[in-house]
Amino acid sequence: MALLERGVWYDLARKTEWSPSYISVDELFPPELSGGDGIPDEAWSSYDEPYKVSYREYVDVQRQKDAGAYSVKAALERVDLYNKADPGWVNILKEHYAAVALVEYGASFQEARFARWSKAPGMRNMATFGMLDEIRHAQLQLYFPHEYVNKDRQFDWSHETMFTDNWVALGARHFFDDVLMTRDAVATSIFANFAFETGFTNLQFIGLSGDAAKAGDYTFSKLIQSIQSDEARHAQLGTPLLQMLIEHGQAKKAQYYIDVAFWRSYRLFTILSGIPMDYYVPLDVRESSFKEFMQEWIVTQFIKSVEDLGLKKPWYWDIFMRDLAEHHHGQHLGTYSWRPTLWWNPAAGVGPEERDWLEEKYPGWNDTFGRVWDVLIDNLANGRADKTVPGTLPMICNVSQLPIVGTPFKSLHDTTLVHEGRKYHFASEVDKWIFQRDPERYKHHKNLIDRFLGGDIQPADLGGVLEYMGIGVVSAGGDDAHGYAWVDRYRDAPVPAR
Amino acid sequence: MALLPISSKFEGDFVLKLVPVDTENTMDEVAAAAAGHSVGIHVAEQHGKVVRARAEGASEPFPRDMPLSQTGLGPTDTVEFYFE
Repeated sequence: MALLERGVWYDLARKTEWSPSYISVDELFPPELSGGDGIPDEAWSSYDEPYKVSYREYVDVQRQKDAGAYSVKAALERVDLYNKADPGWVNILKEHYAAVALVEYGASFQEARFARWSKAPGMRNMATFGMLDEIRHAQLQLYFPHEYVNKDRQFDWSHETMFTDNWVALGARHFFDDVLMTRDAVATSIFANFAFETGFTNLQFIGLSGDAAKAGDYTFSKLIQSIQSDEARHAQLGTPLLQMLIEHGQAKKAQYYIDVAFWRSYRLFTILSGIPMDYYVPLDVRESSFKEFMQEWIVTQFIKSVEDLGLKKPWYWDIFMRDLAEHHHGQHLGTYSWRPTLWWNPAAGVGPEERDWLEEKYPGWNDTFGRVWDVLIDNLANGRADKTVPGTLPMICNVSQLPIVGTPFKSLHDTTLVHEGRKYHFASEVDKWIFQRDPERYKHHKNLIDRFLGGDIQPADLGGVLEYMGIGVVSAGGDDAHGYAWVDRYRDAPVPAR
Repeated sequence: MALLPISSKFEGDFVLKLVPVDTENTMDEVAAAAAGHSVGIHVAEQHGKVVRARAEGASEPFPRDMPLSQTGLGPTDTVEFYFE
């Protein structure tokens, strides 16, 4: 018996619905879980998912993708990437897997919530596949780093990170709890599928894939392209919701969701993608700068998709465009300086040619961030490595959980708010605005500094902080990726006095 | 005589830093504590210059011998430090 072509039965299947008669619609789809306040029940059948697939097709395609990714990995295992590749590259893998693997698993919960709580049958159907996608991503990104664990214990963070209180994990959990895990189905899909997935994950999963191939890591390049092909499908869940909100007079709500998600995603990706692209990826294999990737993927493509819907660039667009050229530079200085707190070994990425590249891509870099690096380099070149790790903690944002940084001599400043008698600090006006729009959501959380000052971390010293963050527990902390070999380039030529 | 953590915005540095000081410290001592976490670490030394302290955004520095307890600064308030 011949199988029916999908087009013949799909629309009938996806519209199979019923109206509850023993319980109310609100009991079946509690508003706090389902969302869609102000959207009439009849409107939900108009949700039209841009991408349609049957289970039969899904299994077939996904099996082929897995066969491709796993076979490339198996074939390349003998290449001994861990020992052959530039350490700057290998440490990108440690950061990536640890920050991402269990977040994918969390995303499967998010998709599963849509499968139950979305009022649109088409969305429930697609979210079931999205849930399977995210389980796949979690499994892949646990299995792939596993071959390195017996070589380098820092790869164990691939599984452990989200169970620790490492400062990066605090930031990741705050972000993903906010964006993926704690909003109604409509809001979550706009935050997570539309803003985060359609907009920003391309930076890491496509932008970095190009660098991976050039660095000789075809396993990783193939893996993340394969992952992103799933993303390209389920990320589309959010767009029809935006259309529905706009059609039912809720464009302001839609804009607000995008404005919050965009900034939070951007600042997270300065750590995950921005620093690696501009500092860790070996200079000779860099495809583009972080700013250039952002211009292509976000400023051009993503914002076009926002404007095509009739929505606008976020209100803070001017702030964002300036921030794009500076924020990740400060975060790199911070993560490198506080490298003992990391589970990877950061490449400094500030040899003479690297600095020329940075100056070309970010005019003024040498006269600002470069001057801070001059002090570090002088210490490293003259036997004072101990002075290159600060003896105190940075001030940390109560929203992003990231250190409060700025361009030296130009833009470093504090942004504060007193709310119900408690003082909060923010890394930007936008983080403060995010807090002020929904203080009930954010006011209870204690960032690392709040915990330190509040006595939650014992002993209350830097050793206690490191242990609290899992350093020396899961593995040793970070150190220079190249063992400071790059400093030799400066030993013969003194750092220019200014 | 009480611990008071302040947030240090040191001229030429790239990040705000937590600096624990004491309410009995003079602003010169507070400046020295802040300098200890920035100068020679992220900021170049400037010999022969004094490090002054002012509230963020203020035009005038605190008097050098003023005790921290008299400045009106609270926990984690940001203080600007600069060479003079």
